[in-house]
Amino acid sequence: MTLPRLGTVLFLAALAIPAQTLQQAEAYRKARNFGEANNTFRDLVAQNPKNPDYRVRWGRMFLDHGAEDSTHHDIQNASDLFHEALAIKKDDADAEVGLALIAADEFTGDAEKLAHQALDWNPKLIEAQELLARIALEDNNNEKAAAEAKKALAIDASSPVAKGILAAVDYLSGKKESSWEPHDARGYETIAHFFVMNRRYEEGIEYFYKAIALDPTLYTAHAELGLNLMRLSQNDEAYKELSLAFTNGRQDSTTTNTLRLIDSYKKFVTSKTPQYGAELKLGKKEADLLRPYFEAEIDKCIATYEKKYKIKLTQPVTVEVYPDHEDFAVRALGMPGMGALGVTFTAKSFGGAIAMDSPSGRRPGDFHWAETLWHEMSHVFTLTMTDSHVPRWFTEGIAVHEESGPSPEWGDRITPDILMAIKNKQLLPISELDRGFIHPRSPMQVIVSYYQAGKICDFITDKWGWDTILAMLKDYANDVDTPTVIRKELKLEPEEFDKQFFALVEAQNNKSIDNFPVWTDDVKTIAAASQAKDYDTVIKLGLQARDLYPDYVETGSVYEFLAKAYAAKNDKAGAVDELQRYVKNGGRDPSTMKTLADDLTADGKKKEAAAVLERVNYIYPMDREQHQQLGLLLLDLNENAGAIREFRAVLARDPIDLAQAHFNLARAYNQNHQPEQAKDELIASLEAAPGFRPAQKLLLELSSPEK
Amino acid sequence: MRLASLLLFSALCAHAATYYVIISGLGGEPDYEQRFKGWANDIDSSLKKAGESNVITMIAPTRDQIRARFETLARDAKPNDALVVMLIGHGTYDGVDYKFNIPGPDITGAELASLLDRVPASRQLIVNATSSSGASIEFLRKPNRVVIAATRSGTEKNATIFARFWAEALREPAADVDKNDAVSALEAFHYAQRKTKEFFDTEKRLATEHAVIEDTGKGSGVATTGNGPDPDTGEGKLASTFTVVRLGANAAMAKDPAKKALLDQKERIENAIDELKYQKAAMAADDYKKQLTRLLLELSRLQAEIDK
Repeated sequence: MTLPRLGTVLFLAALAIPAQTLQQAEAYRKARNFGEANNTFRDLVAQNPKNPDYRVRWGRMFLDHGAEDSTHHDIQNASDLFHEALAIKKDDADAEVGLALIAADEFTGDAEKLAHQALDWNPKLIEAQELLARIALEDNNNEKAAAEAKKALAIDASSPVAKGILAAVDYLSGKKESSWEPHDARGYETIAHFFVMNRRYEEGIEYFYKAIALDPTLYTAHAELGLNLMRLSQNDEAYKELSLAFTNGRQDSTTTNTLRLIDSYKKFVTSKTPQYGAELKLGKKEADLLRPYFEAEIDKCIATYEKKYKIKLTQPVTVEVYPDHEDFAVRALGMPGMGALGVTFTAKSFGGAIAMDSPSGRRPGDFHWAETLWHEMSHVFTLTMTDSHVPRWFTEGIAVHEESGPSPEWGDRITPDILMAIKNKQLLPISELDRGFIHPRSPMQVIVSYYQAGKICDFITDKWGWDTILAMLKDYANDVDTPTVIRKELKLEPEEFDKQFFALVEAQNNKSIDNFPVWTDDVKTIAAASQAKDYDTVIKLGLQARDLYPDYVETGSVYEFLAKAYAAKNDKAGAVDELQRYVKNGGRDPSTMKTLADDLTADGKKKEAAAVLERVNYIYPMDREQHQQLGLLLLDLNENAGAIREFRAVLARDPIDLAQAHFNLARAYNQNHQPEQAKDELIASLEAAPGFRPAQKLLLELSSPEK
Repeated sequence: MRLASLLLFSALCAHAATYYVIISGLGGEPDYEQRFKGWANDIDSSLKKAGESNVITMIAPTRDQIRARFETLARDAKPNDALVVMLIGHGTYDGVDYKFNIPGPDITGAELASLLDRVPASRQLIVNATSSSGASIEFLRKPNRVVIAATRSGTEKNATIFARFWAEALREPAADVDKNDAVSALEAFHYAQRKTKEFFDTEKRLATEHAVIEDTGKGSGVATTGNGPDPDTGEGKLASTFTVVRLGANAAMAKDPAKKALLDQKERIENAIDELKYQKAAMAADDYKKQLTRLLLELSRLQAEIDK
């Protein structure tokens, strides 16, 4: 979201430039005639190449327009112009604050530094001061935010943004009223922004409406209102607001892509889960395939959580599954620190909406859809319990903690980057952990913060028990801040908690951290030896490296090298053992898992083989052959309901061998004592291939008078 | 062509032979060398396992070696024989000539056509699974010849994956969609085409090859969809009757004159099923199902009789 910027009048007063021409440009901009504004600014800059102010104003126009597509690169243009201005005048505070605004909108960690620099160059630059207050409040540092906002009011006592921030601090602290109510469109827009940032969408929407009521031409507010209405599935109203913003020149990627996304909803079909009636939206082309798996998992998940969180959901839950990752990405737009795989929106009057990637939207093995579903569904519960008053780190921490709830094989494993963050003492104090999500210093800090938050919840659960987590949620619902919650529920000072937690994490990972250089060298040698078919070396080094860093199950894992080496040396049992270890430790490459299933099947261990393929279903259920293989195993194991589900999945994937697919399903129905369904499938099989003998035989058998 | 007709045709041509030539071209780098050779050997193995004896596989041959092989074929093959040529490797197209990359001088599309023309086998199938292979169609197309190319034009220049799935089609029962224990050229084409598309979809990669088939002798190749020939152009009709590999024992059965009457009856029922299927859209669903069930039961009983 773009926050209010310095008024035109003030700016014109500050700049000693030919007012009429600049006025023309600004008038065009104000009238949302960006084409003419752009032309005028371009002329101004051409005529005055040494004047940095024209470049800054031009850059601000690009920020206002904000379009980012194949033909528009407004944000980049703005950034370029601010840098050009700084090249002309190295201490140009207005250019610097322009860069700070870009960084703030992108939630990168540089914004604060840039704003401070701008203030150093111009201590009266209110926009920079307002931005510092904004950044502090985005980090949930209310005290700092209030102090920075008051500094802004000292520069300009009427600053609606500063007032809006102070009012937001009051409201987010649980107050029902604030003496800082700005009574100004931009001030209301600021309050709305902070409600949204704290996932309090309904209140955010209310304030966007207030802003628009005072200034119907505030198109940034129209666009944000539309986006947030869409988040709560109020798509018709959302479309209206977004269209209005778009046609009035607010053509940033959020507005444009959200409009496109709403247009794309016609490509989805909706169903309701049998037990809880949760709404499931799936892409038409894959709905028949995915529906049984998603519906079953959603119901199982809600049933588990209702028991665990001790609440009944009274509002509906919607799960949207996007086959196109770009569509999903639009759903997560504008929300910093949101997962790359799923997002959740909740509101009292609306319930919860989970949006996530479809397994088809990712490469096989990149994504564990069921884990993501359990993660996101836990947000529905924690946000509902706290009316969205829970801080980001805690709701994310619980969600990560929940990922491995259904199975210890689920849940992301510790990556080398996280190991290094632990080694380099880059974990954040618990009181500041939100910063790792909202304003990360690097993209990796978000990932490290997810890990840290999850581990904190593991730690609390292990040491203080699950009920302590529930008690903390209740505290957050009452707007208690994190240090107070820690003192109250864990009977520790936050600093002491950090000390204990850091010590635990270090102890848990010391072996991998200390041996990381050795492990890295070993893996390189193992890969080379494997390439050279020197399997003795692979096994010798592999056994050592595997146990130095057992969590490493990504591409090129030691488990896979070892399994390959054992297989090459005809040690099938050794290969199977390694692959089972790989799966147990969280390995999720479907082709490796299928190799294990094949080996187990060849070894007559059909039940174990089926269990491996069931796991694949939670990762990449798009593979027709895998469903067929699992269906046949389940049929042999007399697990007929499962076999029926799997063969139906084959049919939903438009099989090449239609006759065989219907025939397999017929066998499963027959074995499940459903002869009429079996006959229907046999007719379908023979319709595709009338000469298919096995289907003919079974049809004759089922049609004989004795049957 | 219905199964019975195909079987009768096979019976009439019982003494006819099918000659297979599999050529794996120059890989250029070890990974491709290994891949191309692996696919060629995979095809070779499937054909030999199916009992085919006239299978020649050439790994990275020179132009002279290819010419020599076709000279032998031109001498040995008879008009009622069939010829299947499969090219695996890299191909290039410079806007004029298609070239199959082999050690030494490459072989052009025009020369390949000339070599094929000299083989008297009247039924020919050429599967050009190389990059840029779409450009070879204009040289290779001819009446009674099925041409399959891994790419739709000469401009699809990336190394192809089609041959991997073509090889798979010749050993996978799933490719035999009509379950007549034989994989036709059209069935193998559809199998490999679908698998190639799914490969790119799954890997989230932009598809760089789009296989096409040409068997009218005058087209530029189409990517037929579904299981049958292209209804608009008729492309694929010849390919649907061209058996590439037999997976079962239907050939032996077709040779038994005692079964002829039953096979004739079977063909009549199969034709009736086809007829009914054409009318499906215009019929009430219940009526269609009832009639189809009756015919399928009739066919099943007859098949049981034939199999005795």
